[in-house]
Amino acid sequence: MTDTPIKDQAARDAAAKVAEYEHGWSADIETDFAPKGLTEDTVRFISAKKNEPDWMLDWRLKAFRLWQTMDAPDWAKLNVPPIDYQDAYYYAAPKAKKKLESLDEVDPEILKVYEKLGIPIEEQKVLAGVEGARKVAVDAVFDSVSVATTFREELKKAGVIFLSISEAIREYPDLVKKWLGRVVPVRDNYFAALNCAVFSDGTFVYIPEGVRCPMELSTYFRINAENTGQFERTLIIADKGSYVSYLEGCTAPMRDENQLHAAVVELVALDDAEIKYSTVQNWYPGDAQGKGGIYNFVTKRALCQGARSKVSWTQVETGSAITWKYPSCVLNGDDSVGEFYSVAVTNNYQQADTGTKMIHNGKRTRSTIVSKGISAGHSSGTYRGLVRVAPQAEGVRNFTQCDSLLLGDQCGAHTVPYIEVKNPSAQIEHEATTSKISDDQLFYAMQRGLAQEEAVALIVNGFAKEVLQQLPMEFAVEAQKLLGISLEGSVG
Amino acid sequence: MLSISNLHATVADKPILKGLSLTINAGEIHAIMGPNGAGKSTLGYTLAGRPGYQVTAGGAQFDGQDLLALDAHERAAAGLFLGFQYPVEIPGVSNVQFLRESLNAQRKLRGEPPLSGADFLKVARAQADAMGMDLDMLKRPVNVGFSGGEKKRNEMVQMGILNPKLALLDETDSGLDIDALRIVGEGINRIMRKPDKAVLLITHYQRLLDYVQPDFVHVLADGKIVRSGGPELALELERDGYKDLAA
Amino acid sequence: MTALPTRRDEAWRYADLEAVARLWPLPAPERILVPAGESFARAIVQDKGGIHQIDLVLEAGAEAAIHVLNCSGDYGRIELNVTLHEGADFTLGAAQIGGDAQTLEIITTVTHAEPKATSRQMVRSVLAGQATGTYLGKVAVAHGAQQTDSEQSVKAMLLDRTATANAKPELEIFADDVKCAHGCAIGELDPMALFYLQSRGLTPADAQTLLLQAFIAEVFEGAMDQEALQARALAQLGALA
Repeated sequence: MTDTPIKDQAARDAAAKVAEYEHGWSADIETDFAPKGLTEDTVRFISAKKNEPDWMLDWRLKAFRLWQTMDAPDWAKLNVPPIDYQDAYYYAAPKAKKKLESLDEVDPEILKVYEKLGIPIEEQKVLAGVEGARKVAVDAVFDSVSVATTFREELKKAGVIFLSISEAIREYPDLVKKWLGRVVPVRDNYFAALNCAVFSDGTFVYIPEGVRCPMELSTYFRINAENTGQFERTLIIADKGSYVSYLEGCTAPMRDENQLHAAVVELVALDDAEIKYSTVQNWYPGDAQGKGGIYNFVTKRALCQGARSKVSWTQVETGSAITWKYPSCVLNGDDSVGEFYSVAVTNNYQQADTGTKMIHNGKRTRSTIVSKGISAGHSSGTYRGLVRVAPQAEGVRNFTQCDSLLLGDQCGAHTVPYIEVKNPSAQIEHEATTSKISDDQLFYAMQRGLAQEEAVALIVNGFAKEVLQQLPMEFAVEAQKLLGISLEGSVG
Repeated sequence: MLSISNLHATVADKPILKGLSLTINAGEIHAIMGPNGAGKSTLGYTLAGRPGYQVTAGGAQFDGQDLLALDAHERAAAGLFLGFQYPVEIPGVSNVQFLRESLNAQRKLRGEPPLSGADFLKVARAQADAMGMDLDMLKRPVNVGFSGGEKKRNEMVQMGILNPKLALLDETDSGLDIDALRIVGEGINRIMRKPDKAVLLITHYQRLLDYVQPDFVHVLADGKIVRSGGPELALELERDGYKDLAA
Repeated sequence: MTALPTRRDEAWRYADLEAVARLWPLPAPERILVPAGESFARAIVQDKGGIHQIDLVLEAGAEAAIHVLNCSGDYGRIELNVTLHEGADFTLGAAQIGGDAQTLEIITTVTHAEPKATSRQMVRSVLAGQATGTYLGKVAVAHGAQQTDSEQSVKAMLLDRTATANAKPELEIFADDVKCAHGCAIGELDPMALFYLQSRGLTPADAQTLLLQAFIAEVFEGAMDQEALQARALAQLGALA
């Protein structure tokens, strides 16, 4: 495209003008927005706003043109209302939320949930957006600003690169260029292509050879969760022999004006590297009648490129009106290991279609899949998974366990496992069960003193235990409470 | 402590209890015996508040409260424990977790502070030891893979930890061999034979009563108590059977 | 279906589409209705290749047992579309034995439309050469079909590294008081067992045939012509060795 630089310049000018007009000379770039709708100019605008190099803009534009030729997938067991992609904003500073003076102004329903989750009061203020709380809460969590700084410095000392993806594109272009789109190609699927074109921001992590990341990249994220954009992009590279545990998401209910979320997460594990990626997803699921709520169409994939590398996905999915998500592992390295542990809860009118793909290309690669689906109300939950063994992959092992728990007779629970084996030395085992909470179990727990909802929460947590055990300690406790809260009102 | 008057109850619209009256005072141990189908288990379930067990007439006062107005868990918090004839399996939930959460839920309802993990473990360990139960079994999922005898012993450990005022023990002796029977019997005496507590043993046979001496024995037939007496009544029933009582 | 299927059609994703094109358009499926309270049994030996589609409806309390040996032709496909009314009972026992470049498929949709119906499906595949064996089995439990009891057991044995096994044991459940389970296992013969048999004097080929015979034996249990099916399967297995 010969006119690219010109249009790009035009976008920069346009943005600058808008900034001036709206907010005067001193207004900074953060207050900008792109007009409604999605065209090549939108893509140029976003790229310009982020001061991206030309190669990045080209990459985005290619993705955009490809996306225009694609169709939204229709094969998942979901009922997705048509989405008007021209009736949305693709770049806007977070809407200046109404500043709140104190927690008294927060929706009491939300506060109730915070309370049940046991979130400290200062953190509650940050989550709710109370004026002036931010700094205090960072202090509360990290003890003090200096601790936060220590945190960054400690990572830096270990050689860990931990930045926003926009910063990484500017500061580490070679690393980003080498791996971005390598795990999830632009053409992978409709939502991935859309993300490539318009991703707003996200996270970049690089763990150098032999380094064990000195801390879970987790607590940090509760505070930063509000930055989570509509089109988030994450790239994590674990170099040879390194280890990192990364946690995304938040147990606190997150409300967002954006209806569509289409994130892409790419993980790369080289020889002997290990990545543990945990997610707690609790986006707004819509109300009890199924009005509103987030559409969460995420593409997550890991490339176990190196020998003996390992990637472990753990997810607790309780939110969103519609979830479409298959964190997967491409096991290329010999003796590499993929794991997927999932709890997905749907209540009211929520729909979740989630699972994993384990692609065994390397020799002696192993994978474990444990999926626990819990459906209540009028909701519907589907496990959809693929285990594929390539002809050259000798000695592959897979074990899959898919269990569904139904609460009530108006919900649905579905299991769709694909198994494709082209090597006789593979040992593939798959088991699935469907059950409900028996009246006997419920009464037994109540006879010992638990109220009905507590009893349901306890039994559901028992059902999901194998998965919850995989979560980092501090989140396991909150996730347990979350399961109970998500199912409130579903029995009785 | 417990006063049941003219209790009528149905299960799936079928009348099972037909005017049962019984008073149990603190410090007493009562045994209810009777033939199959007399309504023994129904009595336990109805008093503990099992859904589907419908009270159609009569009432029950427990410690000055209207027992029947409470939910099942509130009855537990009020101090009523039902030892199940067939203890239920709950996969994935350890005994320790189950009991700690149950106990703290009861304490919360009673306005008492929760027990810390360490304090709870101390209590749990002591009770498990007393029943000769391995600590490992406390960590295993509730009743999953337990033998019949282990399940009953586990019920006694739970009773010891939850420390109720009144225990309704439904055929706690079934499925036990002689040694286990003695251990369970001693457990009941140790935990419950106190001036401020009471027990209602629901049983077919005399043999548990060899270990737990009842103060009163009642015969339940066709949903009513048809005879009451002292411990000698149990021996008489063991000898003569229930045949003559139905009339 | 009137248009020629493509890979995007779930029920045909592993099919030999060239062979399908040669057979297109298909005749209407065979329709079998088992009246209330009656029993039906059928053994199908697919020994010429081709596509065999059956719509089977079991009225209340009816029983049906279908046994299948799917073994011949370049492309052999058996499709069963089963609807179960209250208290009906359906059993499928199927073996697929293939070598060379054969593509063998068993596709089932078992709909529990009403309460208390039971279904048992057992499928064993033995695949050598460049053969592909597929089982796509969907169990659907309708709203209100309480006390459904359904089971799928799927196993495949690959004898050569050029053979392929595909399986999709799918559940679609809209009722809570149900027992639905499926199990699937794919692997190769246990080398230790092969060695043990050989150490007792069996040739490697006989040892393999014997173990494979044991592997598929249970699917024909209770079939109306059990012995004939087993003899035919054994001959087929012997030819692979």
